[in-house]
Amino acid sequence: MSDHDLMNRREVIQRVAMLMGGAISAPAVLAVLNGCSPKPGAGWQPLFLSKEEGAMVEAVAELIMPRTDTPGAREVGVPAFIDVILKDAYPSDEQARFISGLKDFDAEAQRVHGKPFLELPQAQRVSYLQRVHDEAAAAEKVEADKDVPAGERKRPFVLMMKELTLLGFFTSQAGATQVLQYVAVPGGFQACIPIAEAGNGKQWATEASLRF
Amino acid sequence: MANDVSAAKDHSYDAIVIGTGITGGWAAKELTERGLKTLVLDRGRDVKHGDYPTATKDIWEFPYGGRATDEDLKRQAVAARSGYAITQASKHWFVDDTEHPYTEIQRFDWIRGYHVGGRSIMWGRQSYRWSQMDFEANAKDGVAVDWPVRYAEIAPWYDHVENFIGVSGRAENLPQLPDGKFLPPMDLNCVETHLQQTMTDKFKRKLTIGRVAHLTAPLAHSPQRGTCQYRNLCIRGCPYGAYFSSNSSTLPAAEATGNMTLRPNSIVSELIYDDKTQRATGVRVIDAETNEQLEFNAKVIFVCASTFASAHIMLNSVSKRFPNGFGNDSGELGCNIMDHHLDVGAGALVEGYTDQYYTGRRPNGFYIPRYRNLAGEKRSYIRGFGYQGGAGRLGWTRLMLDKSLGAELKEKAATPGPWYIRMGGFGEILPNHANRVTLDRTRKDKWGLPLLAFDAQLRDNELKMRKDMANDAAEMLAAAGFRDVKTYDRETGIGLGIHEMGTARMGKDPKTSVLNKWNQVHACPNVYVTDGSFMVSSACQNPSLTYMAFTVRAVDHAVGELKRGNV
Repeated sequence: MSDHDLMNRREVIQRVAMLMGGAISAPAVLAVLNGCSPKPGAGWQPLFLSKEEGAMVEAVAELIMPRTDTPGAREVGVPAFIDVILKDAYPSDEQARFISGLKDFDAEAQRVHGKPFLELPQAQRVSYLQRVHDEAAAAEKVEADKDVPAGERKRPFVLMMKELTLLGFFTSQAGATQVLQYVAVPGGFQACIPIAEAGNGKQWATEASLRF
Repeated sequence: MANDVSAAKDHSYDAIVIGTGITGGWAAKELTERGLKTLVLDRGRDVKHGDYPTATKDIWEFPYGGRATDEDLKRQAVAARSGYAITQASKHWFVDDTEHPYTEIQRFDWIRGYHVGGRSIMWGRQSYRWSQMDFEANAKDGVAVDWPVRYAEIAPWYDHVENFIGVSGRAENLPQLPDGKFLPPMDLNCVETHLQQTMTDKFKRKLTIGRVAHLTAPLAHSPQRGTCQYRNLCIRGCPYGAYFSSNSSTLPAAEATGNMTLRPNSIVSELIYDDKTQRATGVRVIDAETNEQLEFNAKVIFVCASTFASAHIMLNSVSKRFPNGFGNDSGELGCNIMDHHLDVGAGALVEGYTDQYYTGRRPNGFYIPRYRNLAGEKRSYIRGFGYQGGAGRLGWTRLMLDKSLGAELKEKAATPGPWYIRMGGFGEILPNHANRVTLDRTRKDKWGLPLLAFDAQLRDNELKMRKDMANDAAEMLAAAGFRDVKTYDRETGIGLGIHEMGTARMGKDPKTSVLNKWNQVHACPNVYVTDGSFMVSSACQNPSLTYMAFTVRAVDHAVGELKRGNV
């Protein structure tokens, strides 16, 4: 869909919403909006990362958020998301920490298991990632307990990957609507109801534009 | 837009309103409805109701998961101090700070939106009345100067404003927080109700649902506005017009009269004073796009540019009569900066209620009205604070340091987390002559105007109060049986409450105040200043409703004075 079409459609929704005041139904708005979802490309060309770094990011992201009966990180475009957010939203010192951390992560795999990460069998990738992750998470927990803001914690590669995979995945259409549940225009508010009656009972998808 | 060609030609109007935010919109509506041909100026771009580019976007339509880029954070570094303003969904409502610099003698967080509607698009919508106690406070404590008005004089104007904008809330019959004309209240959730019960039983303190300028029922007089859809995306602008903004409410009303000429991109550089008539004759304007310099004339001028922008215009309006700034015989212009100090409170995890959840995203939380230093209590500080807070179930961001990865992480993320409750204080800041803004004539903006220089700080009374603000919150959460109670008290700048006020205070004595009780400049009766500038003390309630009520009252006075030939 071109930007032009998107704009027109959005204008139509806004006009209709205004004309009808609050009367417009949520499903009607949803039906129009669902036509506009971005389509994550299957193949992607990294803009910031090298090809090899891109492959590493893709593999780690898919381990963090794999395909199950719902799409995984690769399928919803998380690797390309991470590439672009690193390029545009991270200052150069954090970019450098990510890249050097990625290299260290690979070098450590080589040292421990005798092979680069991407050449390890799946089971070893999982156990290696889990170990590196748990150590990093334990170290950061100390900072979190001291109320150091999330944005100032100088995360190592594995936790930067986790943060960005979570962010990219749950702000994707599939993550928000198939793994979580999402309603664009709830139309009303029920403050406390049995969880089974709150839509399908899953976590509601919301914006998450702040660091966590 | 109604354009009176003959008036436009000679640049003469009955009235000029500077600014289109919360108070400028109200001044425009009330003046035009009373038949005055009114020129309404805003320094920023035009924004028509509905012209909210991100309002209907879904989460996945924003790049970077909605986060600001490094470039955004450099260009909008001041607004980013808020922690919430600069996202892909909302950044276009906040100024480019590199284009609109100011001088910080001490840290000052001046968070601005330069566009038609101003911060009425991004405001928090919490709407509370001042009480008699608040209007009496300065006199009683011997602080600054006395308010020249009391609650009874303002109450009917609160009624008028609430009836028009629509305020959802619950009547509580509290002397320190008068009830208003309310639309049906939004609901508290079960955890909030639990805390409410604890506070009643153990503390004799009130917790109520926030009073917000949202339509929870239709307004007969404003059929173009719809009811709240519980999207909680208000900061993007509401396509339903469900919360009050100038764009959805007062400006359309003004436009409907045919008496308004709205001129965006119009930076007012100064008020023009005429020695002979001892009146202001009009304003000088720089066109923000063409840099053309223009003059517009009117019988009466309403200065509603926002507190510090109005201070800037008045300080920059130097004449033989007013060598130190417009109407500044008292030397108080630019002084007595107030705001509310915040970023202090507590949060806790809640055990239980795991079989309970909610639908819809309530754009509101609970409110705990002031309870300190009432009924004879004397803390180590004077005045007090209120809390705003809310409870909800934690989402997937809670899993950042969780051990799970892979399918287990995905499964956990799809399951609502435990309930979490948080409350943050809004504390009164005392007026202090030394908390001030001046003109920094050594620096100029791109239109050649001198910059504002801020020199203000929290002082002893506020710092003492903050201890209670953190500890009381923790005490109440613990008493409710919540666990892992944690206080916070973050370093904060004045301005971050975005409740700026006080730099042209009203008072009985022209020697110690800039405005009289009608918001008129003591020394120039055809200029009214009705944004937060006029405030004499800050109380601890969100102030917009009070600014609106005083604005309407001032217009009523001005029109009467025009008829009587007094201005």
